Amino acid sequence: MKKILVLAMSMVLSFSVLAGCTNNSNDSSAAGQDSSSEVLAEGVLSNEEATLSIYAQYSDDDTKIPYDYAVEQLKKAYPNVTLKLEVQAQDDGQKLMTYAATGNLPDIYQVALSQIENFKESGNIMVLNDIAKETGFTDKVFESAENILYNEDGNIYAFPYAGNEYVVWYYNKAIFDEYNVEVPTTFDELIAAAETFNDNDIVPMSIFGTEGWITAAMYDVLATRWDAGGIAKLDNGEGTASEDAYKNAAEMMNKLVNAGLFQSSASTTNYDQASQMFLNGEAAMFLNGQWYMTDATATLGDDVDWMYYPSYDKAAYEEGKTAWSGGGAAAGYAVNPKSENAELAAKVAAFISEKYCEAKVMYRGTPLVAVNVDVEPENEFPAMMKKLQADLPSITSITKFDWHLTNPTFKTAIEDQTKYLLVADYSPDDFIAEVNNSLK
Amino acid sequence: MKKFYSNKLAIVLFALPALVVFSLMVFYPIVQVFIKSFYDWNGLGSGTFIGFDNYIKLFDDTVFKISNKNALIFALVITVFQITLATIFALVVSNKRTKGRDFLRVSYFIPVVLSVTVVCQLWLAILNSDSGLLNSLFKALGIDYQQNWLSDRNVAIYVIAFVNAWQWMGYQFALMLAGIKSIPIDYYEAAKIDGATTMQAHRKVTIPLLKETYKICLTISLTGGVKAFTEMFIMTKGGPGNATYTLTYLMYKAAFREFRYGYGMASASILVLQCLAIILIINWLFRDKEKKVRRDTRWNTK
Amino acid sequence: MEHKVTGKIGALIFRIFCWIYAGISLYPVIWLIFYSFKNNSEIFVTNPFGFPTTLHIENYIKAWSQYDVPVYFLNSVIISVATVVLTIVLALLFSYATARLQWRGRNFARLYIVLGMFIPIQAILIPVAKLVNGLGLSSSRIGLILVYSAINISFATLVYYGFLKGLPVELEEAACMDGANIFICFFKIIVPLVKPATATLVIYIFLNAWNEFNLANVLVIDEKLKTLPLGLLFLQGAFTTDWGAMGATMVIASLPTIILYVVFSKQVEGAMTIGGAVKG
Repeated sequence: MKKILVLAMSMVLSFSVLAGCTNNSNDSSAAGQDSSSEVLAEGVLSNEEATLSIYAQYSDDDTKIPYDYAVEQLKKAYPNVTLKLEVQAQDDGQKLMTYAATGNLPDIYQVALSQIENFKESGNIMVLNDIAKETGFTDKVFESAENILYNEDGNIYAFPYAGNEYVVWYYNKAIFDEYNVEVPTTFDELIAAAETFNDNDIVPMSIFGTEGWITAAMYDVLATRWDAGGIAKLDNGEGTASEDAYKNAAEMMNKLVNAGLFQSSASTTNYDQASQMFLNGEAAMFLNGQWYMTDATATLGDDVDWMYYPSYDKAAYEEGKTAWSGGGAAAGYAVNPKSENAELAAKVAAFISEKYCEAKVMYRGTPLVAVNVDVEPENEFPAMMKKLQADLPSITSITKFDWHLTNPTFKTAIEDQTKYLLVADYSPDDFIAEVNNSLK
Repeated sequence: MKKFYSNKLAIVLFALPALVVFSLMVFYPIVQVFIKSFYDWNGLGSGTFIGFDNYIKLFDDTVFKISNKNALIFALVITVFQITLATIFALVVSNKRTKGRDFLRVSYFIPVVLSVTVVCQLWLAILNSDSGLLNSLFKALGIDYQQNWLSDRNVAIYVIAFVNAWQWMGYQFALMLAGIKSIPIDYYEAAKIDGATTMQAHRKVTIPLLKETYKICLTISLTGGVKAFTEMFIMTKGGPGNATYTLTYLMYKAAFREFRYGYGMASASILVLQCLAIILIINWLFRDKEKKVRRDTRWNTK
Repeated sequence: MEHKVTGKIGALIFRIFCWIYAGISLYPVIWLIFYSFKNNSEIFVTNPFGFPTTLHIENYIKAWSQYDVPVYFLNSVIISVATVVLTIVLALLFSYATARLQWRGRNFARLYIVLGMFIPIQAILIPVAKLVNGLGLSSSRIGLILVYSAINISFATLVYYGFLKGLPVELEEAACMDGANIFICFFKIIVPLVKPATATLVIYIFLNAWNEFNLANVLVIDEKLKTLPLGLLFLQGAFTTDWGAMGATMVIASLPTIILYVVFSKQVEGAMTIGGAVKG
């Protein structure tokens, strides 16, 4: 009896609550009229009034600090614009895709390159060429970063904030010194080093094998030793995996895995786990983007440094110092063309992207941003960053990060297949066949 | 009695609401899935009709073959594991003489209450080949056996199936228990009086009377196995490589990572058809025996 | 004599097995609570299983401050309870119609509804979102409740149908003789009889709705309507994740359900026994 009573009560309760919230509350439509004759106060770019919805990453220091900074600056420049943040889900873009399919796209949203390709066909992404010019964004972008601004079709679809980035081979100097290991320059030396570390219960190199992008990056690092085009060349349809460079890279990766370069649980290790192994001094080397320099320095101090990628012989090592893995792509903050305030949203998006760059330089210790910003870093850049900066002018080629690949089928295949290479008994021939399959 | 059960108003009032809600919210989307499986479509816009092309490509896809093999393994592992243990534990807990039966009953069900994420993270930690509990246990016991549980391409699928089976065993257990509870006690008592041991009484009386429950459990674990996804998604991402792909994972990859939505829908359609085949087979397998059991039951009550 | 001894030892081993298995089943709860007080370093490298070396209470502070926990919690309660009620009502009525009532196409209808068990959520994500949007339900809880119910109906009818088929028809026959009509018979006899099934279904459907992430992720746009599993989004980054705070969020989300289950499991058991008694 009690149960029925409870049931009945909860039923009444739920129906009353349900009834209470069916009214469509549409916050994102209240736009005020802009009177251009109005004199704007200092630092104010516009007095337009609107609430804009924004879909952005907001979960760790690297995403929260720039966002919070941009919002704060926005209050000064656009005092009547309010941002309504929806935190981006790590769901392979399911949510964004559904929003596009149902016409619920937010006014401003962060977008990856492969999504841009998909969205531009269906008219879900605004062409920002005019706004970029009007706001001066185009002029502020580094000349070297034009690949990051313009899509392959020559249009601007997103305001970028990240510049060209690099895959960096980190190592723990203290561990290397302790076991008298020289920084390896060739694969043979690398294998010898791995042996020494393994003998002393140190993981030679930790890798987060659950993430396809890092295994793809590892493979790219190897492939660029033979062919500077790396995986980018395959993505552009300019080659096949049967070419020597890609075959050699697959065989080398297999050889390194069998030599025990990575931890044995590599293929189920997530990012935090692998990173923690390196930071705790349980792993001697670690592969990650250059954005990791700040965090690594914070924990390991002077012990951490980066090395040039090892290669198949000394000469190739020296020569390969200018061919890096990494890159950038025309992605960033995009605008929903169907937004009621599309024009304003586009301006705000440009503004936010620029502020992201400022925040990254000031608080995140990276000068590698898309826009030339006139700010000074709060703390000095880490030593590793200075060393990289000194090298930047001489870098002759970069490839692509996995998430900048434009052929989604190839992207998925290279992720899955390079992950598969972490399994000691996976044959490089199967790898080549499967990758070629995806390129058809 | 026939008239009693042929009340037109009752039929409409009882059957219609569920049919309407289901047709609208689930069946209509399923129809969309089937329709889109004949299109070259990226998920947005209208796409182009390409007939059976997606299916032809699918049958040629190596991952499709792996997925089907994995579905079979997954379904068999969870079916055997869950039904066996659920039966044993349900019989133990329903026995009034078992000490601490309330505690056992709550315990067995606890994994069901937890979210899949928690359970997967736990097993990831236990099965980790470097720092995991299981390999440490072998070491502590002096057994010279270390296994890369989740990164061995031949073993991983069994391990993931085990995790799923382990978590949901509790639910099958609860269903069995509910089934046992609704069996009149006299049947079982009568068998005991006739001199049967507990085990015999269960085998002769309880288990045959649970046929309907078994049918439910079998349907749940077989279809659940065929469409497995979440465990792979959290624990291995379909890996190592594509060794733990399932049809759902293939669908997910095609639709959301490759923007080949139509292709993904073809995979989902095959999945639905496979499940449909399974349930038809289960229904057919249980049909004759069902009648027989019901006759037995009646005969027993008299 | 020897036979009896081996039997005793066998029984003992069997009992130990039952208890060890119960222990393994309970372990995740303890593990999760420990986990929620650790940082990434302890969770992954230094101490994955033991008691936390230092209690990182800040995990809870962080989890709590990321999003409006009480609002998310309330939404989860409302949506889960409504889903349970709606699903149980629809499924029981429908199952009775297919298991007992005589009409053409009842077997087909039953199979038709079970179809819902076969389709992976991810496949119907976009069509369902379009539908909910088209019906104008995208900014209310009703959309999500209807979808959840429709999905759970398949499973619930499967269980109810099985149970009803297992019940002898004699009791209903008797009621029919006494002149009761079908509606009275249904509410007076069937509803109490299927209590064991209802008890297990209530728990199952509630948990399904409570833990559901995929549909909630794409269907709920309004911040005020979000459910607890969506809270995890605030802690998962593209690269790094705060696992300790994730643990805290999961404790906040699952501890109430565990406690509820433990508290009410006695009642659930009671409900089951009544069902048996009425019949026996």
